[in-house]
Amino acid sequence: MHEAVPSRRSRGLISWVRRGGLSTLVFFLPVLLSFGLFSWWPILRSLPLSVQRTNFLTTDWVGLDNFTRVLADPLLLTATLNTLWFALLALVFGFPVPVILAVFIAELRRTRGLASALVYLPVIFPPVVAVLLWKAFFDPSPTGVLNTILGWAGLGPLSWLNDGDLAMISIVLQATWASFGTATIIYLATLMGVQTELYDAAETDGAIALRRFWHVTLPQMRGVLLVMMLLQLIGTFQVFTEPYIMTNGGPEDRTVTILMLIYRYAFVSGDYGRATALSLLLAIALSGLSWIYLWATKRWSTS
Amino acid sequence: MKSTRTQLLAPAVLAVAALTLVTGCSESNSGSSGPVSITVAGMPNNQQPELLNNFNRNISDFTKANPEVKVVGDEAVFDVRTFQALLAGGKLPTVFYVPFTEMQGLIARKQIADITSAIGADSMVSRINPSVMKVVKDSSDHVYGVPIQAYSMGLLYNRDLFKKAGLDPDKPPTTWDEVRADAKVIQSATGVQGFGSMTKDNTGGWVLTTMSYANGGTIESADGKNATVDNDATRKVLEFYRSLRWEDNTFGSNFLIGYNDAMKAFAGGKIGMFVQGADAYTTLVSNMGMKPDDFGLAPLPQAAQGLGALGGGTVAIINPRASAAEVKAAIKWLEFVNLRKYGSEPEAVADAKAKVADKQPLGAPALPLFDQATTDRYLGWVKDYINVPRQNYAGYFATAQTLALVPEPPTKAQETYGALDAVVQAVLTRRDADIDALLKDAQRKVQAIIAAS
Repeated sequence: MHEAVPSRRSRGLISWVRRGGLSTLVFFLPVLLSFGLFSWWPILRSLPLSVQRTNFLTTDWVGLDNFTRVLADPLLLTATLNTLWFALLALVFGFPVPVILAVFIAELRRTRGLASALVYLPVIFPPVVAVLLWKAFFDPSPTGVLNTILGWAGLGPLSWLNDGDLAMISIVLQATWASFGTATIIYLATLMGVQTELYDAAETDGAIALRRFWHVTLPQMRGVLLVMMLLQLIGTFQVFTEPYIMTNGGPEDRTVTILMLIYRYAFVSGDYGRATALSLLLAIALSGLSWIYLWATKRWSTS
Repeated sequence: MKSTRTQLLAPAVLAVAALTLVTGCSESNSGSSGPVSITVAGMPNNQQPELLNNFNRNISDFTKANPEVKVVGDEAVFDVRTFQALLAGGKLPTVFYVPFTEMQGLIARKQIADITSAIGADSMVSRINPSVMKVVKDSSDHVYGVPIQAYSMGLLYNRDLFKKAGLDPDKPPTTWDEVRADAKVIQSATGVQGFGSMTKDNTGGWVLTTMSYANGGTIESADGKNATVDNDATRKVLEFYRSLRWEDNTFGSNFLIGYNDAMKAFAGGKIGMFVQGADAYTTLVSNMGMKPDDFGLAPLPQAAQGLGALGGGTVAIINPRASAAEVKAAIKWLEFVNLRKYGSEPEAVADAKAKVADKQPLGAPALPLFDQATTDRYLGWVKDYINVPRQNYAGYFATAQTLALVPEPPTKAQETYGALDAVVQAVLTRRDADIDALLKDAQRKVQAIIAAS
């Protein structure tokens, strides 16, 4: 019995190597190291940090105190509502744009390559440069770029980021502009894979373009659409760069987002316990959202 | 489907990873009685060769006089986003420089060394102006740093625009009513916005606080236990903002302006007057190309019951992990390199020569660190090297000795300023903003900030 165990084990190891286990491990190692070191380990480290108070010299366990202080922050509700508002606006305005563009570009024959390149162009801008560029466009004076354009049509001038009601919409405008290129390219690739015989069949049946899109194109894009929507939702709940650079939360906290609160806790107040507590709450909320989303769309996406 | 789900959840989890915060590993220094090694911030970079030479000469002079101490220069400068990482990773230099505004938070979080017992009675430090020293002390008078440069908030104005508008640049406004009137004149004569203010990144609250002081009100009680935002002085400042913005239209149109935005606009001649630290000279002239003669600085106008002006400046602090021997060596060094020039003519001249050779301003507006006699003696030693038109700030220097330096709100100043930013933005972006309601709301928020500390 005692001798049988190691021999069985070594036999298991040999067959594991024979079945390609070693090469699997070698290929898996870079992923393991890079994500482990830069993602998973920090995530694990943040768990204790959220129930501690530390100044990086001495550390005290404070139980749920950090969570209590996060929930007591009057700005938390403001930031949550602002973030939801941003996510909703981005979904309503930002999500359909690349789908429509991709369908149009797919119809092109000779200029499809050029059109894809042009659509992708905004993505080439480094994010901070693009945000600063738009910040200048949003100049509230009558001589600002967007106000000049509005002036040609006899409209405006608008205060853009300086107007509490308009600030978040302006930010969504910029964010949509900056990100629609990538989504369009992905949808375009999906459309190229749409089975053309279905179009032929639809045409034989005399279906008009809009119905063709609705009954043939959309169902075939469904899987990709669902994934893209989930990724967008997760992305928009983490919006930071755009409002941070353009408004830093103003005017009157109308564009403060959850991530901006986390940033302020950590880097302005030096309160890492509170920052990780809110990060964890957001992570839990996003995981929950993803789970519900996948559960709700499971049937539809596999049909 | 199962694999699809895990594939989908993976990015979700990884996205969350971007939010979580990394902490570095820490190392601790053990105290030793033998030779001491300290790292010191403030080392100039290669762009300033003369200052770098002077810095290196200081190190070798210091090491000759103190052979048991080894000094290593470090170019690290303060940035609120990297300070915690420097500390957590054990990379914070033994001697480091931070702005006045950070001191209170650092003391509260116990992230700097208590150096009370390490400062000798005969030290230059004990002769520093007591109202400046207040910034580096806690409520029980423990000392956590050495101020090496100080200034007060003042009214900055563009002398060139004053001339163009037919105003006398040597007679800046001395009351807020005059500020309002001059802003109108500048605006109508030049088309440039007459007055301006920073409004975001906590600077809006910072300026509102100093203007409240000038009008006789505070933001927190002296013990830092109660919010006092809802007061008549702050109401007066907001009314002042409202009049310039909505009645006179001399306040411009953008009210999401941070420190750098305002500085660039002022250096470029796009703002007539604004409230800012008097130390802005160096940044405006050396880095942003403003002509020295265009830079105007007046003392912050005070109402009859005005309390004074908020102060600012630079403090030398010591790494909280430093051993007792390192603290002692560090204090010796920071006195040697920062304060010696006020007591030794050759040092004053050598320092001045290096600054001028590297085109750094010498004699820029500042508050005297010591008594007036010490300051005058120093200025006498370096008078041949002064490259700043100091006669333009005669008014500021004249009040520097008498105008009280009022400290920042004692509890969570930065968060408090953040809450006040929203009030300032409201008054400037909404014509119908209800100042009474805004102050009531801010009072409640600041009280909540104090309660959470």
